[in-house]
Amino acid sequence: MKKIKIVLGIFWAILCLIIIIVLFPGLNSFSSGVSRLPFMKINPNFTGGEAAEQIITESCTLVIRKPVFDGLIGERKHGFVQLDWKGKIPDIISDTIDYDMDRHPDFSIRINRSESSTILHAMNPKVKKTGISTPTSYGWSVRVKVVK
Amino acid sequence: MLDSFILGLSSGSTCLLTCGMVIFPYLMAGSAGTRKIITDLSFFLLTRLLVYFLLATLAWYFGKTFLTSAIFRNYVSGILYILFAIMLVWYSVSRNRKPDCPAKIVNTVNNKKLVPVFLGVVNSLGFCPSLLLILTKSATQGTIAQSYLAFLGFFAGSTLYFLPLPFAGRLKKKKVFETIGILATGLAGIIFMVKGITNLIGGILNG
Amino acid sequence: MVEIVNNHSMKKSFGKSLLYALPMFLITFVFITGGKPDFSDPAGALAILVTFLGMNILYFLMHYTGKTDKFRAILFIIFALSLSFTLIKNMVAIRHSMSFSQADIIECRIPFCHLVIPMMILPAAFTKSIIFPGTILGGFANISSMVVLWLVATIVLGRGFCSWGCFYGGWDDGFSRLRKKPVIKRISDSWRWMPFAVLLMVAITAALSLTPTYCSWICPFKAVTEFEQVTTVESAAKAGVFISLFLGLVVILPVLTRKRTQCSFLCPLGAISSLSNKITPFTVKIDKKTCNECFKCVDVCPLFALTHEDVKNGKVSIFCSKCGKCVDACSRKAIHYGIKGIPAGDMKNFSRNIFLFVSFLFIAIFSSGSIITVLKSVFNLFI
Repeated sequence: MKKIKIVLGIFWAILCLIIIIVLFPGLNSFSSGVSRLPFMKINPNFTGGEAAEQIITESCTLVIRKPVFDGLIGERKHGFVQLDWKGKIPDIISDTIDYDMDRHPDFSIRINRSESSTILHAMNPKVKKTGISTPTSYGWSVRVKVVK
Repeated sequence: MLDSFILGLSSGSTCLLTCGMVIFPYLMAGSAGTRKIITDLSFFLLTRLLVYFLLATLAWYFGKTFLTSAIFRNYVSGILYILFAIMLVWYSVSRNRKPDCPAKIVNTVNNKKLVPVFLGVVNSLGFCPSLLLILTKSATQGTIAQSYLAFLGFFAGSTLYFLPLPFAGRLKKKKVFETIGILATGLAGIIFMVKGITNLIGGILNG
Repeated sequence: MVEIVNNHSMKKSFGKSLLYALPMFLITFVFITGGKPDFSDPAGALAILVTFLGMNILYFLMHYTGKTDKFRAILFIIFALSLSFTLIKNMVAIRHSMSFSQADIIECRIPFCHLVIPMMILPAAFTKSIIFPGTILGGFANISSMVVLWLVATIVLGRGFCSWGCFYGGWDDGFSRLRKKPVIKRISDSWRWMPFAVLLMVAITAALSLTPTYCSWICPFKAVTEFEQVTTVESAAKAGVFISLFLGLVVILPVLTRKRTQCSFLCPLGAISSLSNKITPFTVKIDKKTCNECFKCVDVCPLFALTHEDVKNGKVSIFCSKCGKCVDACSRKAIHYGIKGIPAGDMKNFSRNIFLFVSFLFIAIFSSGSIITVLKSVFNLFI
């Protein structure tokens, strides 16, 4: 029994040695494999949710994302809807948004990029206030806090 | 009442985040059995319910005035969090602590049931987001009975999240889990202290 | 019968040490240069050469002198410093600041580090997503690569990751060596369970809020990497917390106690790594036949992994990070590196040799990138 334990222990130690030698050359493959696991995607509270609609104008593209209410279990009452302006966006952005796709405008937003000011006018009682309004590498993003 | 219950269910996780961080380490830090844990938790929840009824009364009568003042919310929650935090940190570092008494002040009172009651009172008065929601709803009710029903529904929904807590007590039989429980109580205190100071500073700056 | 132990029984002759160092020499050459050394950039080539030689000299000295800890610590501390330098340099080059903005969070451009892992587990199970604004694959410090590296290192080394892999541990390890004698000598052993309490709190709060609360509020190493822009009372409070924790737990307390207090009292990943000591084959053993219970190992252990009771029982606790300090300190070589299954006192050299190869190879490859980057920046100033 004592000898079996010793053999097993040495075997496990040598296996670890092999694992470490293989780890770094194989890191890209292992990482690719791990990235395909079902839970390996960033939570929508950070990414902003899936794109629901794209409105393409002459100068820029407005991406309206699906509202995010994700919680640990089920959905939360409070969430946000993210808007992304991409491309050659003007200094003053002014848009009326229907985020729930019910063909009724929910809010209008006016952004003065040079002054970094954002004015929200809610037309739907579910729309609460502006959360984040920030320049990004692709243009500008706004998160508007909404309730279900 | 149904939407209040659903509000309690959907907001209960936030309630657990604030209240659970208190009660969970407390349960693990004592040395009593499962029955006592259930008793303590029952007193804790009952106290919360009674305080909620009191708040329902106040909210119905004074609601709109208090709900619009963010500065008042910051001051009250800030002071309460700091007081509560000091109590928790004192419990975790005090050499004179008795197994199930979180603060020296409670040691002077022989009635051990006071501890969960005290915890229940202070937690109920902390302005966690879910409480603000139900206060808002309660203040808009036409009668005081409707206000009470709103809070009762909310209480029922949020209580479901606390039901698993007594089973955490089984772990505390071993000394190491008791040590972790005591340390976690102190940590919860520090978290509330930082939260309280942040709220107070926010209130002072906005005031 | 008590074995009379030569104080220098782990030492090897010069030739034998070279022989033991040769596999490391060859493997690190291949891994660091990719097998195709490029001399077109003089500063880069010199940086690679210095790094490669430096690492192998340290490994050689581990065999030649029979000492482990001080040579490990040299590389460990250099790794911590170089990683911070590299990260700060990248942040300043891209963002002109050490702080990250809301845009960086929205665009998921935050580099991932292994300290996030304890907070990811519950949310990943419930929401099937990662609660961190980083990149899944590709780019600098992506989530997949860091998870693989940490997972493998933890399975192989157990809590040895904390002394042979963690690029933050070198900070408090370095500060703990500044004084020759501690000012604060007595700290209760109960505090070593604090990381488990921290783990409990951050796991619950992160799961319920779906944000990495340790990173947001507590992590002291934001002081030497990156942090949230201070634009609100809350972000200012966060800055106050992490600066205080860095000064207290990473600088002041390690200097005063000669212990790694951040790793011992705060790090939630250390708690998980302690549990993983159960599955790794490598361990530190106490040969009770040789031990005279002088408790010098207890005094020198930086992570409170040894108590008087542990030594009397002949068993090292789960907090051991296999740094080698106790092994080097023991005059009777009663405490030594071991492999599970092999009785204490047997096959000491064999166990040590295998463990050193595995652990040193890991830290050598893991740290080489950032060390080369730093040296290249330095050499570029002169070449």
